[in-house]
Amino acid sequence: MTQSQVGIDTTQGQATRPLVASVRDLKIYFEAKAGVVHAVDGVSFEIRDGETLGLVGETGCGKSVTARSFIRLVPSPPGIYAGGQIDFWSTESRRNRSEPIDLLQIPHEEMLAIRGDRIAMIFQDPGKALNPALSIRSQVAEVFYQHRSEEILEPFGEDVPRLIRRAARQQTRSFEKFLLNLPPWRAKAAKLRMRVDELVAQALTETQIPNPRTIMASYPHELSGGMKQRVLIAQALACNPDLLIADEPTTALDVTIQARILELIAELQERLETSVLYISHDLSLVKEICDRVVVMYAGRIIETGTTEEVFSAPKHPYTRGLMAAVPSAHHRRGELAAIEGTVPELVDPSPACRFNTRCPFAVDICRTVDPEVVAVGGEHTVACFAYNTSDGSVDLPTLERWVS
Amino acid sequence: MNSLSPQQPKVARRAVISVRGVEKHFPIKEGTLQRVVGQVRAVDGVSFEVRPGETMGLVGESGCGKTTLGRCISGLVPPTGGKIYFRLSDQDAARLDEIDAIPEPDRSAEQRKEVERIDANHRVDVLSGKAWRTYRRNCQIVFQDSFSSLNPRQLVKDLVGRPLQVHKEASGQELIERVVSLLESVGLGRQHLYRYPHQFSGGQRQRISIARALALDPEFIVLDEPTSALDVSVQAQILNLLHELQKERGLTYLFISHDLGVVRLMSDRIAVMYLGKVAEYGTSMELFGDPHHPYTEALLAANPDMASEESVMKGLSGTVPSPANPPEGCRFHTRCPVATPACGWEVDDAVAWLQVHETLLAGLTAVQRRSNFDATLDFQDEDSASAVGRAIHDGDVPPAMKAALEMVSTEGRSVHVRFIPVEPVWLEDIGDGHLTACLLHTRQGKQPWPPQPIADSSNRAAANPSSASTTNSKAR
Repeated sequence: MTQSQVGIDTTQGQATRPLVASVRDLKIYFEAKAGVVHAVDGVSFEIRDGETLGLVGETGCGKSVTARSFIRLVPSPPGIYAGGQIDFWSTESRRNRSEPIDLLQIPHEEMLAIRGDRIAMIFQDPGKALNPALSIRSQVAEVFYQHRSEEILEPFGEDVPRLIRRAARQQTRSFEKFLLNLPPWRAKAAKLRMRVDELVAQALTETQIPNPRTIMASYPHELSGGMKQRVLIAQALACNPDLLIADEPTTALDVTIQARILELIAELQERLETSVLYISHDLSLVKEICDRVVVMYAGRIIETGTTEEVFSAPKHPYTRGLMAAVPSAHHRRGELAAIEGTVPELVDPSPACRFNTRCPFAVDICRTVDPEVVAVGGEHTVACFAYNTSDGSVDLPTLERWVS
Repeated sequence: MNSLSPQQPKVARRAVISVRGVEKHFPIKEGTLQRVVGQVRAVDGVSFEVRPGETMGLVGESGCGKTTLGRCISGLVPPTGGKIYFRLSDQDAARLDEIDAIPEPDRSAEQRKEVERIDANHRVDVLSGKAWRTYRRNCQIVFQDSFSSLNPRQLVKDLVGRPLQVHKEASGQELIERVVSLLESVGLGRQHLYRYPHQFSGGQRQRISIARALALDPEFIVLDEPTSALDVSVQAQILNLLHELQKERGLTYLFISHDLGVVRLMSDRIAVMYLGKVAEYGTSMELFGDPHHPYTEALLAANPDMASEESVMKGLSGTVPSPANPPEGCRFHTRCPVATPACGWEVDDAVAWLQVHETLLAGLTAVQRRSNFDATLDFQDEDSASAVGRAIHDGDVPPAMKAALEMVSTEGRSVHVRFIPVEPVWLEDIGDGHLTACLLHTRQGKQPWPPQPIADSSNRAAANPSSASTTNSKAR
């Protein structure tokens, strides 16, 4: 990854960047009493090397499920991986110009090796993502035991005893653990522990945690929300992943802390040359930090494009409505442009534009046919009939100005 | 920008709610006997007025006491200090101001009687009988989380009709009709009467909460983060609805939120709270257009704005200090980017700074604290003591903190640190009802620095005997 285009630069030249992941026609359903819920229904998008891709949408639009399917964290059952594929190129495979791997098909063991190593995830609520019964040290150390046992064994040189090797992978049985407490092994076990401590402290320092050694000894409840999120970021970036999935990492935090955490993620991303899939419901935030944006609604992608394109000239009526609904300085009280109605049920949906029930411009075709994704210049694509060209046989909607 | 004039002609000029120096301290209990070992100062001396027909915004980060204050005002928890008045006329308010200026023992019997009279009629936590019922009818609250504030085992008809039943307003068919009209006023309908809360979406549930709050046709509603659990498109619906209802019914709102954009949109006047105190107070135009407190500025800078072209999100360093042991002077000085020596630097700040260099405090054995400004740190050996002494004296201490240091001396294994004591910072009017508690903008801040120490420090020591206790904790 020494290409000059790596880093966060202008939107030009991004199209030529190599891909990190490519999602094609992803379908994830859930079995429910009422029927099959089409939570993610034919989603396709790409993540390019070194970019921050924003996945935006409201509650229940399938953005978190999409993200979790990258590392197969959607519980199954009730979840069903109903179709599609997620191709993933790690740095190595890109260097060797080898074929991508399909994250939905690889065996479980391979997935375990990728999870937390090549693809890492930061979760929404740092309070729930950390185990309250384990110290910060042991939670961060686990990443190293899982994925970096070679690095742990470095100070032992070439000839490592088998027991130590097993200890560095956390594969010791109880009697082996007992052995490690006995004099001939005790010193080596201590050396191993010190090495892990060193790696953990290093990882914590990366995320600008003051006093990493003190923090390591503490438990999650002793830390503030912002600090816990830093620990999670340290955990996620410990292995220098190719792809970082950030699922609303700052929703549970105060604005002043949120800004710091975002600064930190951006800085580390630049340094580690990681691609980020940033999931958020907060449009203004996505506008600040993402290079490209994918807007989801009710399990479908309705608009994609560079941040510039989408935010300066939103095309889909939903995107427009969403942007107008964010209160800002120029709004008058009581004149916020609300989108009427609520997100539709996703149980066995019939073909139709998912937004037709709330769309003020919907015409007959919107209620009976799925809109295709059409390109509207640059990288900007949108799934709305208003941008299709008509041959005269059907009425297409025309978008007038969104609510005055 | 304010569509309703703040004073309506039908009544004498009065505030709907007057908050006067309200404090809410929660005891920290410890041990088998539940001995009280400290107080969490959730709300610590807040004063403001809410005038009829206006929306007062209360904004701040989590843990700043805004929700607790809302609960005190709505009568759900009694304040531990200060007074909250309901429908206090300007005349009575002026009288109270006059009497409050006189110290308690010097008041005449007449003045005491007058305070008693006003309290009995208007003071929320001592109201009783009819006055209390009037207050309860007229002050309602909408909670943040509609999941936990609507009883999952009750039908909408019971949820919304309950206040009407309790106050014996209606029963039988009339009750149902009243509930239907309430539901219609919030955009729901008759078809929703016989459903349970779980059958509704978040936005609809919040509408039910609003309908319930409107049931007794109140004058004043506390809105405690009414939209923070909702999506933006639904949030916009609810905000529009709230505004419409206010216009129709002449409601007065206290709008509590952590979202600056929402508060700015909804409020006529705003109080920015930090750690239990009001940092800045003013009309929403003044506050956002011309903030006079670094905390307000920081909040504004950290808030991403859709409308702005530039991306200038900036955060604050550090975390909110514990409200059980709030910082001296200005409570924001520990995180303030423009703190001055007069802002209240104290021993805890020195310790917090030392903690960043973790090796320095390794040998710490005890802290003898004479006051928050004066303490002795004991170390295991002389070397670490002298290292700490040097670090405080010569290290890259923040310049403001260094200037506030009165003395650092190392004697054997202990380091004696003393800061110049300061007064607490108070809110000051800087013109047109715009209040700020930042020394950079107030007359308090223009006082000579350092203050004349002799009289000052003896006063403080007398007033604060409890703070001279000995602890061996490393930090607060």
